[in-house]
Amino acid sequence: MSFIAPAAAFLAVTLPAILALYFLRIRRPTRVIPALHLWPDQIRDRQANVPWQRLRPSWLLFLQLLAAAVLVGAAVQPALPVGATLAHHTIVLLDTSAAMQARDVASSRLEQAKKEVGSLVDELGASDRMTIIRVGAVPEIAASAIGDRDLLHRALDATQASNGAGDISSALNLAGGLVRPGEDARALLYSDGILLPIRSSFGEGLPFPLEYHKVGVSGENIAITALNVRTNAQVRAAFLRVQNFGQQSRQVSLEWRADGRLVDARPLTLAAGQAQDLILAVPADATAVSAALDTGDLFKLDDSATAVARAPRIFKVLLVTPGNVFLQQALGLRTDLQVDVVAPTAYKPATGYALTVFDRFAPATLPAGPAMVIDPPSTSAIAGGATLGIGRVRAGDAGDPLLANVDLQDVHVARSQDLRASTFGRVLLSSLQTPLVLVRDEPFRQALFGFDLHESDLPLRVAFPILMQNLSEWMLPPSVPSHSFQPDEPVTIVPDAGTQSLSVVRPDGSTRSLTAGGIATFADTDPVGLYTVVQSAGGKVTRSWFTVNLFAEDISALKPVDRLTLPPVRPAAGLKAPHHGELDLWPWLALIGLGLVLSEWMVFHRGL
Amino acid sequence: MVATPLLEPGLLRRLEALALQVRRSITGQVAGERRSRRYGRSVEFADFRSYTPGDDFRLIDWNAYARLDRFLLRLFVAEEELPLSVFVDLSGSMDWGTPNKALVARRLAGAVAYVALAALDRVRITVFAQAPTSGGAPYRGRRAAAELFQRLQSFPVGGTTDYARLVWPIGRQRPGMSVLITDGLGQAALDPALAALQRARQEGAVLQLLAPQEIDPDWSGDARLKDAESGEEREFTATPLTRASYLRALEKRSTDIAAAANRRGLRFARLSTGQPLEDMVQRTLRQVGLLR
Repeated sequence: MSFIAPAAAFLAVTLPAILALYFLRIRRPTRVIPALHLWPDQIRDRQANVPWQRLRPSWLLFLQLLAAAVLVGAAVQPALPVGATLAHHTIVLLDTSAAMQARDVASSRLEQAKKEVGSLVDELGASDRMTIIRVGAVPEIAASAIGDRDLLHRALDATQASNGAGDISSALNLAGGLVRPGEDARALLYSDGILLPIRSSFGEGLPFPLEYHKVGVSGENIAITALNVRTNAQVRAAFLRVQNFGQQSRQVSLEWRADGRLVDARPLTLAAGQAQDLILAVPADATAVSAALDTGDLFKLDDSATAVARAPRIFKVLLVTPGNVFLQQALGLRTDLQVDVVAPTAYKPATGYALTVFDRFAPATLPAGPAMVIDPPSTSAIAGGATLGIGRVRAGDAGDPLLANVDLQDVHVARSQDLRASTFGRVLLSSLQTPLVLVRDEPFRQALFGFDLHESDLPLRVAFPILMQNLSEWMLPPSVPSHSFQPDEPVTIVPDAGTQSLSVVRPDGSTRSLTAGGIATFADTDPVGLYTVVQSAGGKVTRSWFTVNLFAEDISALKPVDRLTLPPVRPAAGLKAPHHGELDLWPWLALIGLGLVLSEWMVFHRGL
Repeated sequence: MVATPLLEPGLLRRLEALALQVRRSITGQVAGERRSRRYGRSVEFADFRSYTPGDDFRLIDWNAYARLDRFLLRLFVAEEELPLSVFVDLSGSMDWGTPNKALVARRLAGAVAYVALAALDRVRITVFAQAPTSGGAPYRGRRAAAELFQRLQSFPVGGTTDYARLVWPIGRQRPGMSVLITDGLGQAALDPALAALQRARQEGAVLQLLAPQEIDPDWSGDARLKDAESGEEREFTATPLTRASYLRALEKRSTDIAAAANRRGLRFARLSTGQPLEDMVQRTLRQVGLLR
């Protein structure tokens, strides 16, 4: 046992003081009574003013001494060592991702974790500090290096599970930034282990030991893992995937609704681990369709899914080319693009096109809007220098999102204009000799290719349609993307021209207003369901929709991870002076003291 | 300085309307207003007996002689005086309380005595503490009331109660009525005195007189208690618990006295000095059957 405030022991002087008061005699007034023998023989010293007398045994004295002793005991704040090993600075990484909502343990995994962390808070020593980081899609600090237990408990109480994934890498980076060099720190991860893979390298290792505390026991769950709606001239149907992640065969019922109206209901039987694909009819007038499973299982978030059934808005694209089948094919892959092809000689600047692609041609002035210029003539203002012989192609920046999934392994270019001196924009594709493709965001999203596609094997590679897709989506993001997003995933919304007000109505009915001036990013997407984007232009209100669904098999699998692969610990890091947590006894002692004082009052009042 | 009269004239007038209530006939020395077991002169017919020479021929029932041709003497219930003895406790414990118990005891004794005097009964007063003191020759008639009252007021208060010493003066009483006024708080037992009353063929009452401060103690805290009779002292702390204990002891004391009185054929009443004297006499003493 340790004492947090041993100096308070000086209060023990109250004990002899109380005793001394009982040694002193009371100056009692004489009272004549008719029959002394009728009064009981009762004497009790409650105040003293005349020294001295023999000490008489008294319940009051006993209780007062006991109460004083207990209160002195509480004042020195004794603490018992308890199980947890703590550092001076304990960092709690509390997983608040979607899977923590599973109810396979009492209340939920998150509540169980909060309870465990709460116990840890109660065991903090007087000089110990604790940081609580909520590990969600975006980690946040709930409490930063504080020792106040009340604040820590309040931070815990305010912690809610999100519907998103747990980004442990960002959380560890955040925690690393909170630890001062040489600080005695230790991190504890309370999680079911269902987290995003660790992507940061943590090459130097973590500056603190990290301990994983598993929460959760079961992986029994049935989930909707995919819902896609195809709405074109040929097909108008939804493709639904239901999967049983558990170890037991389950029978569930499926309800299929269009705009809230019940369209179909059917029982499903799923063997352990089995996935079942369903094709469901989508009514012609439906805006959104939803599927709901009546599973009664531990995890509700993946028991329903919603999809938009309306066709997306069509963008008009003008391709100015003497003839380029590769470009035509690549642009045609996007179903929401309507491509018009004209020869350079027939080109006239025209409005109404969302994107213009110039192949081996460049107008005097580029249109005020998204544009791609491929191998402009040397007479053009944006053309590069003399042609250079090129070999292999490489990425300007491997992490550029425009090169996502673009494999440049076997891509070569024969010749290209020298763009080294070009001020067009940043380099997207490059070579040893010269940058090959430049892109810019201002004044409009535009791209400049320094080589003729026919002088390269790029159009023959899988990388080409992917690159074109990336570029066209970057330049023409769908006004409102109709596909499903993950919870907490940012959604880019491109308002229609002339939009004066822009707002998003969330599944729970709450409305969020956005700035209508330019491309807006909406990140308040934690609840799953149907989101409605409302645009208002000149009194005309238009609505479009997108959905947020879990659709994450790794989360729906639910089974807690027994062993988590965690980043290594920096060799120097470690518990410098590990100590056990402390359980404060003073509240209990104070309670006993209060009880004793109350008993003393009752004894006094009843005259025992 | 004009002495305060023991009883107010108005009260005396109202007391004249009352009478002591006797359960059985008694024998007095002179004619009074009480039925006697002896036959005498009164208006209440009792019996006939044959005439014997020497009898008062005025009592011969001539109508009976006409019918029966025999001299029959009409006998009437003799109306005789009632010997009333009032024993007043004037021990140290009686000199206590507000109103003072001794003062109220004197007034109560005076009131009961006056009721008797007004009915031409003979009244004897005895005050007692450690030893009994006689109040002088028996008083009779209203005119003796003033002297009786003066005598009652002249006795000092103090000393220890010793009921056993009442046995001798009680034994000297002729059969009649006795009223014992005491607080009953003396350490000595009251029963010997009550037994003596029974032996002396006394009917009457034990009136326990207590002060309001005894019935409901109004003090608490630390004190040095001093017994009003013995002077014994004890350090004490009054608490609700000790108060309850005291009240239990007092109640038991009263209950014991009442039981002992009833056992001896005596009436019992517990009176508070806070009670107006007229209320005591007119209500309580009539309720217990001492007065009518």
